[in-house]
Amino acid sequence: MGNSKKIVLAEDNSVLSLLLKFRLEKEGYELLIAIDGKQAIELIEEHKPELILTDIMMPFVSGLEVISHVRNKLNLQTPIIVFSSAGQEEIVLKAFDLGATDFMSKPLSPHELVIRVKRLLI
Amino acid sequence: MNTSTVEIIMLIIHYFFLVFSVIAISSYSILAVISAIETIEYMKKNSFVNYKEILSSTFSPSISIIAPAYNESLNIVENVRSLLSSHYVNYDVIIVNDGSKDDSLSKLIEAYDLIQISYHINEQIKTKQLRKGIYKSTNPAFDKLTVVDKENGGKADALNMGLNISKNKYVACIDVDCLLLEDALQKMIKPFLETTDARVIAAGGVIRIANSCIVKDGKLLDINFPKTWLEQGQILEYLRAFLLGRMAWSRLNGLLVISGAFGLFDKKIAITVGGYDTNTVGEDMEIIVRMRRHMEDEKQKYKVAYIPDPLCWTEAPDNYKTFISQRNRWTRGTIETLKKHNKIGFNPKYNCLGLISYPYWFFFERMAPIIEVAGIIYFGILTVLNEVRWDYTFAFVILAYLFSVLFSIVAIVSEELTYHQYKKKSIGFKLVMIAFLEPFVNHPYILYSAIKGNIDYYFYKKIEWGDMTRKGMTKA
Amino acid sequence: MNENVYILENLKQSSPIIQLAWCLSGIFFVIITMLIMYLKYLRNHLRENEKIETKYQEEYETHLITYLYAGNDDDTLSLEQQSIINELKTCIVDPFKRKIVVSTLLKLRNEISGEIAESIDKLYIELGLLSYSLAKLRNKKWDIIAIGIRELTQFKVKGVHKVVMNNINHPKKEVRKEMQLYLIHLFSFKGLNFLNVLETSLSEWDQIQLLEVLQVANNTEIADIRPWLKSSNDSVVIFSLKLAKVYNQFEAKEELIELLDSKSENVRVNTIAALSHLNIIEAKNILKTNFAERSHEEQIAFLKMMENVYESSDKAFLLEHMQHKNFEIKLLVMEILKNINFEEYPFYESEFQKSLIA
Repeated sequence: MGNSKKIVLAEDNSVLSLLLKFRLEKEGYELLIAIDGKQAIELIEEHKPELILTDIMMPFVSGLEVISHVRNKLNLQTPIIVFSSAGQEEIVLKAFDLGATDFMSKPLSPHELVIRVKRLLI
Repeated sequence: MNTSTVEIIMLIIHYFFLVFSVIAISSYSILAVISAIETIEYMKKNSFVNYKEILSSTFSPSISIIAPAYNESLNIVENVRSLLSSHYVNYDVIIVNDGSKDDSLSKLIEAYDLIQISYHINEQIKTKQLRKGIYKSTNPAFDKLTVVDKENGGKADALNMGLNISKNKYVACIDVDCLLLEDALQKMIKPFLETTDARVIAAGGVIRIANSCIVKDGKLLDINFPKTWLEQGQILEYLRAFLLGRMAWSRLNGLLVISGAFGLFDKKIAITVGGYDTNTVGEDMEIIVRMRRHMEDEKQKYKVAYIPDPLCWTEAPDNYKTFISQRNRWTRGTIETLKKHNKIGFNPKYNCLGLISYPYWFFFERMAPIIEVAGIIYFGILTVLNEVRWDYTFAFVILAYLFSVLFSIVAIVSEELTYHQYKKKSIGFKLVMIAFLEPFVNHPYILYSAIKGNIDYYFYKKIEWGDMTRKGMTKA
Repeated sequence: MNENVYILENLKQSSPIIQLAWCLSGIFFVIITMLIMYLKYLRNHLRENEKIETKYQEEYETHLITYLYAGNDDDTLSLEQQSIINELKTCIVDPFKRKIVVSTLLKLRNEISGEIAESIDKLYIELGLLSYSLAKLRNKKWDIIAIGIRELTQFKVKGVHKVVMNNINHPKKEVRKEMQLYLIHLFSFKGLNFLNVLETSLSEWDQIQLLEVLQVANNTEIADIRPWLKSSNDSVVIFSLKLAKVYNQFEAKEELIELLDSKSENVRVNTIAALSHLNIIEAKNILKTNFAERSHEEQIAFLKMMENVYESSDKAFLLEHMQHKNFEIKLLVMEILKNINFEEYPFYESEFQKSLIA
């Protein structure tokens, strides 16, 4: 599995990221977990993942800034899926403005997430 | 004068000091008890509140954070980042650059991709003119930010400019160098939204001391205990004031001051009363008293709320020079405010405000240092005249000392039972140590600056602009 | 020894006030000593607890994830799942550990939906945690009751709604609120029936929470809000106005227009906002004709409505109010005039600028 596709997951809820990590690793992806936006940016810069999953509300650096950093500072076109709580339409719009590829609202269905990830990483 | 008259006068003086001390000690104790009851109730009520729902709702009311800045170039970019990272959804940030002489503005322009925009200001409160104008960011990640560049007019004037510019229902007035936790806004807005039987006109938060704490990118990473006695003593002082004092005042609905470092206001009322007073160094206390007075005059039911959670962290003076000048300013602010509103004092028309809050502030905040110094001078005279009764002296000095230590220890225990912010080992011992030392190491300076404040107020009446007005009275 | 006796003798002979002072000092001294010892115990205790808590939490998190992925394809429990259940069951006997188990389950439960969420709910029942939650409802302390209801809400335990409903008139508003949230969370719009009988005020905070929960529920079956628009409880009316906005309740048009004459200003302002959101043009004409009689707040709400539905025929009306003494109203009028974008606009704009300087 040396050349499995890398995914960076930025999520401050430890159980959720553990759950998603297990689920996606089962599908054959390699998961890198960040507990905040700052770590996420470091992981992205170091590992150049094929996909980024990020929560919007996170301590230190928000998901919006992660997107902004990837698109504007690193100039990468890596697909980004953002997680947002229900009712944050405004923030989701902003995320798309900044260059997010897709979004899922929380509470999220891990099953649906796998489908979306697969679609983006064919 | 014969001996008996002297004796009677002396007796009167003695009784005066005794009665004053007894009342002071009892009111501190009563306040502490009320605080404890109120804190338990608050903790119960908030142990299961889900703040998440309020966060994301488009129906949550709009808030503007107004932060005046004067020559803050060093940290301004980081500070603004911290203000922009609140988890609340419906808010914006207005930075009022109050005629800074440094490169604050150009730093902000560069860091946040600002461009000048045209804006009709609704000048409901008279302020100094704009200098370069109003700026917004071109980067959607920062679209909450507005930067206003105006002529220097002091902190109150800058806040008034912010009040004019804000289009939101509530305004959070804060010091730009304050570190606001991400959930600060939703916790502060809660009393405004959940109170149905009275209008909440303002809410005050707790100020915690950030000295020696590790702050990175505008976030509080690690809480440490500072090294010097001065800083440690202030931590203790803040714990006492916020945990054992303010909570009780909010219960009695008699809170007279909200820290200038962090308070949330109903903008409409703040503007109706004319905004901040630019002629006092205690504008943060003065506006609350004026807003309360307005509500009392209008005979409307109102409340000034208080949130005990540690939401706002700020640097306290770390040297005696700054410390003295800060306390000097607080003293003058208190004198000015009480004087300006002396009509409400002891006036039954103003209910609790006039009959309890005002007198308390007058005697135990305003007069206490003067009475204390008078006592020391009187004691000096007695010593010279060899009239001192040492048995009395010892008994009472030790009693007073032990009471002050006890009071501090109770504050520390409350902190541990509620927020337990100083988790690291050995801090407990240091806290207890400083409780014993504080009366010797900090108290004399506090007394000195209070007296100096009185002298400055009566003999050198002048308003200081610029550097000195940068910080409000983050009154503990 | 002699000295001590001497001091005591001395004290006995001194005045009662000094005796009292020393006596108090003694008491204070004892209390201080006791508090310092307590403080030492407390700090150690808290620190230890925190350590243990993180340890258990990590352990339970792993258990939980393993459990969730160890299921059989049919709905039966696998052996591995059964052994995790047994292990956790021994933990929850201890109240401290039980609390951590519950919070671990919730930490994940609140963030996900679908099958996995359902299997967490199932695990909650399997572990026998339900009986502990129900026991909380019988507690005398109001805060414990509230926490109990909250747990039932979060694990979506529908079957016990009768027991929860017993708290409909609980004297503490926090408990009543938890009960309302339980109903909305689990029964969505059907749960809103309590509005029919609500006499107390629904605070803005409550309203926001209810709206958010309804939105998450994603239920397409929307209740008929019209009876609530006629409620004598203003806060219920305002809440239903918000519902009208979120769920585009055009059916309630007539009721809404009637509310323009409500006694409460707050209701009227919210009605205008709702009408504006729903683009109900009739309302515009009604409001235009009696604009002057309305309060500033209502005028502002109306002009905000007009921003979206202006026509060039409104020009005369707008010009009439260009010199309104309220700045905000004046500004809104100018904005709309600008959007109508007629030839003379630049002239009015310069007039307006002058009036700003004046």
